[in-house]
Amino acid sequence: MARREHLLKIGVSGIRGVVGGFLTPGLACEFAQAFGTYVGGGRVVLGRDTRTSGEMLEHAVIAGLLAAGCEVVRVGVLPTPTIQMYVASTKAKGGIALTASHNPPEYNALKLFNGEGLFFNQYERAELLDLYHQSDFNTATNEEIRGVSADFQAPLRQHLDRVLKFVDVERIRQRKFRVALDGVNGAGSLMSVHFLRDILGCELHAISVDPTQIFPRIAEPRPDTLGELAALVCREKCDIGFGQDPDGDRLAVCDQYGTVMDNDEVLALIVDAALAVTPGDVVVNLTTSTLLADIAARHQRKVHWTPVGEANVVETMLAVPTAIGGEGAAGGVIFPPVHMCRDSYIAMAFLLDHLAKTGQSIGQLQAALPRYFRQSGKVAFEHGRLGPLMQSLETAFPDARLDRADGLKILFDDGWIHVRASNTEPLLRIAAEATSAARVASLYEAVRAAMA
Amino acid sequence: MSKLLRISPVGLRGVVGQGLTVTHVLDFASAFGTLLSAPGPVVIGRDTRASGGMMRHAATSALLACGRDVIDLGVVSTPVMQHSIGRLDAAGGISIGASHNAAEWNALKFLGPRGTYLSTSEAGELLDIYHLRKFDYVEWDRLGKLTEQHDAIDCYLDDLARAFDFESLKRFRVVVDCCNGTSALILSRLNERFGFRFILINARPEGRAFAHEPMTNAAVLGLQLAPLIEPLQADAGFLFDADSDRVAIADEKGQALSEEMVLPLLADYQLQQGPGKIVLTNLSTTALVDLVAERHGGIVVRTPVGRQAAIDALSAYRPEQVALAGEGTGAVMLPRFRFVYDGIASMLTVLTLLAQRGQQLSQIVGGFPQYSMLKGEVPLESKRLPLLFSGLRERYADGRQSTLDGLRVDWPDRWFHVRVSQTEPIVRVICEQRGEAPRALFDALMEQTRSLA
Repeated sequence: MARREHLLKIGVSGIRGVVGGFLTPGLACEFAQAFGTYVGGGRVVLGRDTRTSGEMLEHAVIAGLLAAGCEVVRVGVLPTPTIQMYVASTKAKGGIALTASHNPPEYNALKLFNGEGLFFNQYERAELLDLYHQSDFNTATNEEIRGVSADFQAPLRQHLDRVLKFVDVERIRQRKFRVALDGVNGAGSLMSVHFLRDILGCELHAISVDPTQIFPRIAEPRPDTLGELAALVCREKCDIGFGQDPDGDRLAVCDQYGTVMDNDEVLALIVDAALAVTPGDVVVNLTTSTLLADIAARHQRKVHWTPVGEANVVETMLAVPTAIGGEGAAGGVIFPPVHMCRDSYIAMAFLLDHLAKTGQSIGQLQAALPRYFRQSGKVAFEHGRLGPLMQSLETAFPDARLDRADGLKILFDDGWIHVRASNTEPLLRIAAEATSAARVASLYEAVRAAMA
Repeated sequence: MSKLLRISPVGLRGVVGQGLTVTHVLDFASAFGTLLSAPGPVVIGRDTRASGGMMRHAATSALLACGRDVIDLGVVSTPVMQHSIGRLDAAGGISIGASHNAAEWNALKFLGPRGTYLSTSEAGELLDIYHLRKFDYVEWDRLGKLTEQHDAIDCYLDDLARAFDFESLKRFRVVVDCCNGTSALILSRLNERFGFRFILINARPEGRAFAHEPMTNAAVLGLQLAPLIEPLQADAGFLFDADSDRVAIADEKGQALSEEMVLPLLADYQLQQGPGKIVLTNLSTTALVDLVAERHGGIVVRTPVGRQAAIDALSAYRPEQVALAGEGTGAVMLPRFRFVYDGIASMLTVLTLLAQRGQQLSQIVGGFPQYSMLKGEVPLESKRLPLLFSGLRERYADGRQSTLDGLRVDWPDRWFHVRVSQTEPIVRVICEQRGEAPRALFDALMEQTRSLA
C-alpha cells in the first residue's frame, strides 16, 4: 500500500483532520452526538483553541450535543488543561476541547474528556467509536432539548488559583524576572500574559499573544520554530523564555543565552522542584531520559516507565502514588494536585519558583544536571514490514535487556534504544540515549543498520 | 406510514428527534450554502421552539463552513427575517420554525436575496445538492464569521411605521392571541415604542408547549380569543401562528370569522386603493374573492394550492400590477409592505380599513354576500387517483373545468375542487355555493371518492 497523507483520522483518539473537505461540520456534529449519547445526557463543557475553524466546529458540536439531549456549557477560547479542570470541578458529564494541539492551522480535532476531566481511556474510546460507527445516537425531541450557557471567566481563575498554591508567589514577584513569551497566538495567549505579568510580577516581553490572529510560526514549540523567542530573549536580556503550543498544554523553554533547552532537561528541573514540595513517585514515558531516574533518586523516589502518550502516562499515574509525571520530548508536565493533565502553567510556575528559590540562573541549573546524550529520528516502513524489523533489531542486540511495553526498548548499562511505530502513520520513531556522544552515535547507527 | 419528515421543494419539515435530525439540518444548510451565488452574508432566525436552539447551531456551522458570514437575528418571525435580508443586503436566509405545526415539529425555510422564497427551479437545485451531499466547504482561512444582531424587530417596525399611518391606528383596542410565538415580541415592542393598545394573550415565548395548536382558523379563534373581545370592549381580535406570517380575525362582537374571510377583506381594501389590479390566489379559495374583485374591476388569477405555486406565479407580474396575493389559510402578501406573507402587515391593513371606512368590522363583513363552504377529506391510494379524476370529469361535464391542480369545476354561484394533498395520501374535497351550503353536491363528491377507496 502506498503511503498517503492522513487528512482525516477517525480512531480511538477521536477525530482529527483538515478543515474543508475532510473534517466537515457533519462529522464533528455526529461525533459530538455520539459523545453526548455515550455520556448519557447532562452537562457537557465545550471550549476551543484559536484556530479559524474553531467557531464553525463549535457550532457543529453544540448542535450535536443538544441533539443528543445534553446541556452545553461554553467556556470559549481556553487552554486544554483549563477546560479539563473545569469539567472536573463543575461535575459535568464530560467535556470537549476543539484543538488539534500542535498540528498546522488547517487541522482541527475533538479532544474528549470524561466527567473527571481526563482523556478517555482506551476502553471508553473504543466504546465511543463503536457508538459512532453504529450511528446509534440519542435524538432529543423538542420537549427534551436543553439549552446552552456560557462561563468565560471562572475556568481561568480556577486554573491559576490551583497552580499558585504550589509555589511561593511573593518570592517570585520579588525577583521581577525578565521573561520572554511566545504564545503562538494560541488559546493561552491572554491567560499567560495575565499570569506572568500581573500575577507573578514578571517584566514580560511577549510576542504572538493575539488570539484573533493566525499562528505566526509552526505550531509545535521546538528549537527550530522558536527562533523569534530566542532572539527576543537575547535582545531583552531575559532570564528565561517560554514557548507555548496553541492549546497551552505543552511548553518549551529558552535559557538566558537564547538557546532552546532540551525538553528532558526542562522536565528534570521541574520534577526536581516538584519532588521538593510533594511526596510521590515519578511517571514518564519510555522515551524520556534516564536523567529523570537520577533526579528521582536524589529524592529517594522511583520512576515508572509507560508507553508513549499522555493517556498512557496518566493511566499509570492514577494507579501508583505519583508526585509528578510527564513526557520529556513532548514538553508536557503533569502535576496531579493541579490536575491529571499536561499543563504549561504549572511548568512555568515551578521553573520560576525554582529560579527564585535557588537564586541560580536557568543555565546554571541546567549545567548542574547529569549529562546524557540523545539522538532521535524516524524512518518510514512499508505496511506489513514492522514485525520483521523488530525481530531483526532483537537479534542484533542478543545480550541487552528488553522492554516490550511500547514497541521495543533495548537497555544497556550505559544507554538505551527505543523503537516504536507511530499510532497514526507507517513510521518508526527511533530514539537512543547514552552517557557519551560517541556511544549514542554508535547505538543509533547500529539500529539503522539492523533495520536496513 | 407515519408522517415524521418531509423533504420537498418547500424545504425541510419534520418532528424533531423522530423524523427530523440534526444531520438533516446540517446537510440542508450546507446544500443552501453551496447553492447561493449572490455575495453577502446569510441571515438566520428562529421561532420560539426549543428545538430551534439546536437547529440554529447546525445551520450556523454549515454556513460558516461554506465560507458565508452569518448574521443571527435570534428569535424573530419569518417576515422580520425577510425584511432583514433586504435591509442587510444579504445573499439569503434560513428561517427556522414550523409556523402552524405543533410544537414538536420544526422546519427550515430557505429565502433568497430580497427575502423571497426560492423559486421551484432553485428549490429543485437545492434538493439535488442535498441528495448528492457534495458541499462547497472552504479551506480553513476562508471560513465565515458569526455575528448576532438584536435590532431586527425594531428596524422592521421602523419600516412598518413608514408604510402605515400609525397615528390613525393607535386608537383601536385590539386583543391578540400570540400562541406563544414571535408575534408577541413584535407587538409588545409596537406597544412600547409607538403607544399601541394591543392586549396580548399567550404572549410568553414558549419553547415546549404552546397554549393551543398554532393554527389560524375559526375553531382556534373560538378557544380563548373570541370570548374575550366583548368583555374587553375591543374593536377586533387577531390570532397569529408561531412565525406570524398567517393571521385569523374575530370581529368586535366576538364572532370568529372564517379563515377564508381574511383574503376578501384585504382584497376589498387593496382593490379600492388600486382598482383593476390582480388578486392572486389558489383554486381552493372562496369565490367571494371573485365577487370583491368584480366590484373593483380587479382580476383574479388562480394557481394550484401551495406556497410554491404562488411564488412561481407571482414572478410573472410586476409588483405594481398586483393588488395582493394570498390563500384561504390567512396567509396574505401585500405589495404595500415587502410583498411577503406577513400576518402583522395584514392586521395593520385590516385596521387601516376600519379607520378609513369608520365602520365596525362586523358591518364590513356583513356587507358581503354569504357564501357557504364544505370541506372533507378521504384517504385514497395513489394508484386510484386517475380513475377518480376521469370519473369526476365525465360526471360534471356541464361545468367549466380546470385540471391545473386535481379538478375544479365551476358553475354560476357554485364550484367544487377535488385535489390530492401534498403532504398526506388523502384527497381533499371542497365545494362552495352562494347562500346555502351545497350539501347534495358535497355528499355526491364524497361518496364518489369513497367508492374508490
